[in-house]
Amino acid sequence: MSEPLASERAIVGKLVGDNAESWDLAGELPVTMLRELGARKLLCPEIPASYGGLGSTSRQGGEFTAYVGSLCSSVRSVMTSHGMAAWTVQRLGDPAQRAGYLARLTSGQLAAVAFSEPDAGSDLSTLRTEIRPDGDAVLVDGQKVWVTGARYADLLVVFGRYGDDAAAVVVPTSAPGVHVAPVPAPLGCRAAGHAQVHLDSVRVPAGAVLGGGGQSLSLLVTTALAYGRISVAWGCVGILRACLSAAVRHARQRRQFGKPLAEHQLVARHLAELLAAEQVSTRVCEHASECWDSGSPDVVVATVLAKHVSAGHAARGAAAAVQVLASAGAQDGHVVARAYRDAKLMEIIEGSNEICQIILAQHAMTISD
Amino acid sequence: MTLPQTPGRASAEADEIRGTVLQFLKEKTLATPATDQDLFASGVVSSMFAMEMVVFLEQSYRVTIVGGDLKIDNFRTVDAMTQLVLRLRDASDT
Repeated sequence: MSEPLASERAIVGKLVGDNAESWDLAGELPVTMLRELGARKLLCPEIPASYGGLGSTSRQGGEFTAYVGSLCSSVRSVMTSHGMAAWTVQRLGDPAQRAGYLARLTSGQLAAVAFSEPDAGSDLSTLRTEIRPDGDAVLVDGQKVWVTGARYADLLVVFGRYGDDAAAVVVPTSAPGVHVAPVPAPLGCRAAGHAQVHLDSVRVPAGAVLGGGGQSLSLLVTTALAYGRISVAWGCVGILRACLSAAVRHARQRRQFGKPLAEHQLVARHLAELLAAEQVSTRVCEHASECWDSGSPDVVVATVLAKHVSAGHAARGAAAAVQVLASAGAQDGHVVARAYRDAKLMEIIEGSNEICQIILAQHAMTISD
Repeated sequence: MTLPQTPGRASAEADEIRGTVLQFLKEKTLATPATDQDLFASGVVSSMFAMEMVVFLEQSYRVTIVGGDLKIDNFRTVDAMTQLVLRLRDASDT
């Protein structure tokens, strides 16, 4: 079977080239490169063709996401945020909103999703951003933090309170009252454009409230996060593939005590565990994506499981890869050094390890006697 | 065009949906709640499970649960889910 989206891989491979290191060190991606990826519909390949996307399955999009993640987790993070914005529009928007926004998100405009606030991280039930009707418009007020990709975004999908319920509203970053301040030096995915976003009485048309608003916050957030989680999970597979490849190459070439590192058993064990981590993560992501593609209700838990398993393996696998490369990889910007920092963030975002464990534990309690 | 439905047919449809939802709940949670029992308050399900119900109902009845219908209250009881499906099916028939 040929690799899914093979020609698209070649395009992204060429666009990223050997720049991931310098982008990481500079803490910034070229926005023209992101716009080109967007215009080629590669930031959200699963969007149906009827809305201007490539109509990829979750499995195809996932393998593509892993490929991008193996090259550069900052680009992959922008994909995750943009893709989550597109998915949220697709899932919550009315037909006109879907047609309008998805055409923009598949033609070079960039989007990001804004959940977290200074006092609302894992517990989004405490979020305070307010969306309130004002004539034929709505006013948006609030403070969002760690919005991945916001630095480059044209549109933000902002989650907030809407009367007694909740809503997601699409806010152009060019609207008066939107202030985007990049996070100065993130631990990982340093070029992904994380930013704090201040929304000060931002006025947008009422038609920007997806699906008219009035959803339950927990369902709204769970819906949007589902895409982010499967995307991060596949991104972690990419991190593991990059680490496995770098560790194997080094262990083959580097000689100590008269033989290649790979022939030292304690090093070989790292290679074995890296291979196991990459394989296990791939399989759990494939399973979750198959649930997406078949419309199985198991998708909800399978996606959390994929995210949790892959992020943990990526964090441990990246640490092992740094160990194998030692001084050869212990320099900022190096593929394994980036992986080490990037993977740690993957244990935090889109549901921390602990939040995933709580969800999985609740599931275990539900299904067993 | 919507044909006027006899109460008998409507209630037969409702019974079928109720039965299917109960069967799914039993498979997934080992619980057999009363159809008016609050599933969240009684700890039978979590809000993550409400998402599973969204996917299950969409897949089983070819409806789309979006916009303001994405509300916990619509998934609070077996009866509420049944009403939601009936309403969305009626809407897609017209």
